Amino acid sequence: MTTEAAAAPKPDERLAYRGPIQRLLIRPEIGALIGAASIWVFFWAVSDVFGTTAGVNNYLDVSATLGIMSVAVALLMIGGEFDLSSGAMTGATGMLVVLLVKDVGEFGGAGFPLTVAIPLTLVFALAIGWANGTLVEKTALPSFIVTLGTFFVIRGAKLGFSKLFTDKVIVEGLDNAPDHAFWENIFGAVWIRNNHVWDDFLGGRDVVYGVLLAAGAVLLVYGVMELTFQRRGRLSSSGLPVAGLGFAGAVVGLIALTATDGTGANWIWSIVMGGGVAAALYGVGLWRYETRPRQGSSLDLGGATGRNVFIGVAAAALGVVLGLILDAESQTELGFLLTVQGLRAVLFAGLPILGIVVLLIAARNAGKTSAKTQFVITAITSAVIAALAFIVQNEALSRKFRAEFFAILLGAALIVLVSGAMRLFFAERRSPEATADKRGRLFALLGITAAFVAMGIRLLWSTTLENETLPGVVTWRISVFYFLAFTVIGTYLLLRTKFGSWTFAVGGNKNAARQVGVPAARTKTTLFMLVSVAAWLVGMLIAFRLNSVQANVGDGLEFFYIIAAVVGGNLLTGGYGSVAGAGIGAVIMAMSFQGIPFAGWNSDWRFLFVGVILLLAVLVNNYVRSKAEAAS
Amino acid sequence: MSEPALLELENISKYYGNIIALTGVTTSVNAGEVTCVLGDNGAGKSTFIKIIAGAHQQSEGSLKVEGEEVMFDSPRDALARGIATVYQDLAVVPLMSVWRNFFLGAEPTKGWGPFRRVDQDKASGIAKEEMAKMGIDIRDTEQAVGTLSGGERQSVAIARAAYFGAKVLILDEPTSALGVKQSGVVLRYIIEARNRGLGVIFITHNPNHAYPVGDRFLILNRGRSMGNFAKEELTRDELIMMMAGGAELEELTKELEQASAGDEGLAHLAEEFAEEVGELEERAEHD
Repeated sequence: MTTEAAAAPKPDERLAYRGPIQRLLIRPEIGALIGAASIWVFFWAVSDVFGTTAGVNNYLDVSATLGIMSVAVALLMIGGEFDLSSGAMTGATGMLVVLLVKDVGEFGGAGFPLTVAIPLTLVFALAIGWANGTLVEKTALPSFIVTLGTFFVIRGAKLGFSKLFTDKVIVEGLDNAPDHAFWENIFGAVWIRNNHVWDDFLGGRDVVYGVLLAAGAVLLVYGVMELTFQRRGRLSSSGLPVAGLGFAGAVVGLIALTATDGTGANWIWSIVMGGGVAAALYGVGLWRYETRPRQGSSLDLGGATGRNVFIGVAAAALGVVLGLILDAESQTELGFLLTVQGLRAVLFAGLPILGIVVLLIAARNAGKTSAKTQFVITAITSAVIAALAFIVQNEALSRKFRAEFFAILLGAALIVLVSGAMRLFFAERRSPEATADKRGRLFALLGITAAFVAMGIRLLWSTTLENETLPGVVTWRISVFYFLAFTVIGTYLLLRTKFGSWTFAVGGNKNAARQVGVPAARTKTTLFMLVSVAAWLVGMLIAFRLNSVQANVGDGLEFFYIIAAVVGGNLLTGGYGSVAGAGIGAVIMAMSFQGIPFAGWNSDWRFLFVGVILLLAVLVNNYVRSKAEAAS
Repeated sequence: MSEPALLELENISKYYGNIIALTGVTTSVNAGEVTCVLGDNGAGKSTFIKIIAGAHQQSEGSLKVEGEEVMFDSPRDALARGIATVYQDLAVVPLMSVWRNFFLGAEPTKGWGPFRRVDQDKASGIAKEEMAKMGIDIRDTEQAVGTLSGGERQSVAIARAAYFGAKVLILDEPTSALGVKQSGVVLRYIIEARNRGLGVIFITHNPNHAYPVGDRFLILNRGRSMGNFAKEELTRDELIMMMAGGAELEELTKELEQASAGDEGLAHLAEEFAEEVGELEERAEHD
């Protein structure tokens, strides 16, 4: 007891400080984010359409209705409950609104205007949500069973009433309503990208896109630096000229790069830009952060470290050699599912990635003892990536690999090298610091937002040139915007409000929550009603899309909402999770479903794909939760 | 003492139908004192807590808070009177951060209308400060409570109760699931809370934990009060003896002896047990 008493006021030495990367890695949605990026890159590589605006439109449109639901379902899951009636409810609300505006035979022949029918449908949805919540609360039965019952009731009612009123398994004629045009603006609006040309304003769409993207990158880098490095006691102005010069060089290089087209000039400007970025970062570092003390850490590449470096480089080299030996054009089958070409792609991509991961881990482990060793390994990693870039450029057939992928790989090599050098020169922060943490997070978030706005601009506006050269019209449905809004509002609700705290609490430990005065029953019922509001919204979107609703719409989708939420890092047991993650999970599902036909494969395989993703997600979640719960 | 005790119980009894769960319990809790309630399993400790915490009402007897006779209808009632309960395993939500746990159910907010949001900076600052008063330095209040040690988890709940104006703190078996060292940590927080002027009711079945921190001891056995003692009236060994139920122990010794007839290993055990009981009795008489 006495030793504890003496030790307690001191900072707890068992608690290591977590840098921005480690803190990011225990966020629930991080697995989904990495998964989404990998799947995107995968389909982008194997399909020509996937990365185009039309392709993005295709899977985002599919993800929208799925995502609105999975966001709400994720909130409910964090609150510790399931709603298996959610899928059927989307179809039920859609069907009800159509039935209400139609003359439905002997049932009064009501034919309400939409202004009455839509709020009535909302009330109906809320009533189901309330009933689900109240039943679960009052009976203390698992929500799984209760909502399974509701699911069958709704499913049966849909089919029964559809047959009763229309003698068909589909109800039609939403556009008969007198005020259909007005409500279509709200639930059925579309944005035709080709009609929205942005050529001259503010220098044209691509200039705004580029500037926003670059600004986003700068903000993000600054934010990460604030989170990573130890601030100086007094700012040192000696770094400012270097930073300014470097920044100017980076900007000039970037502008020149986008303006010129000759290969020779490209090289010069690339070097100007890369050097500028490095100088700017170094300058900012000198200005704001503590330099790392020059302790006599010596280079040590022996033992396990050396072996890992060798394995990493060897894996990358082996992948490249095998890739070069195998015939790129050969469609010869190598047994089940795999052609020579496919094997080549797998080896060419997989082995180097494995090698780079091994190298990065080796660098991190070496960093614990010697900064110099860490830097040397990082530099080797960077060189490996750069070498890969050139090999890809020489070998690949399609333009996207020769140009875009090449540039991305070179950029990655630069990032690895520069971040390694920054860590060698400047001292990393070892303790939390409220103001720096806050500023870092703010700037990083601003940077990411700017990048997203930039991408949004590209997706929503076209240029005259694009309209002339690219085939097809891209139509954005309003459902995508609802999806985005739902995700943002849901995240705000969960992380910033009382209700969000209560949601975590009732899912994590209901008795403890109740004990301190959280209205547990009300919180859960509200969550069920939130799901039914989402179902109502999706029902309206479905109804206005085709002006008719089939009786089986939505049935069975409830599991996909849950899968999307789980893929997004939500625990099946409740108490932990992320709304944004559920949104990303929905996009992953949509990408997998739509990407398989894009890649020219038989879409019978898609469930296999989804299954694998789900299993991976659960494994990642399990790992993340054990990390979040464990002491380090 | 001129002012009335924070909490005074007189002849409290509780019947569930024809089952007598608790009968004739009398004790008091003063500000800045620790009242320990000891008893084995089934002694009526949880019934006792539930009455003071407002979860159940007493069937007989009087419960006075600061001299005023009360009958609690709900835990909320008790809480409003400044009586907070920290249950052993229900105290916190492990996957939630320290500050969210600290302010759960009473989050400070800022902003207006739909923008009314939890004031994180304030909540996190206060949580850090209050935990520091208990002698725990939480560097990052975003840390999940599950990452704290068992003793520290209890202390989050204790600090929370103290911050929200509890005058009487009921701790239900706070040390039962903890190791020796962690129990020590919790005992220190109990003293800390006492020094801050709270009245503490410490419920435990471990007299070794109770004796060093307690100012008053209420011993329960099978729903009956075995006595309500101030610390001066009681030694540690007497406390242990009384808790184990004196006469019953001898009974148990005999039973064990009878049961072990013919079984050598068991007979050996019974012998040892009898010896220990004898020693305990001797020491209690000596003191």
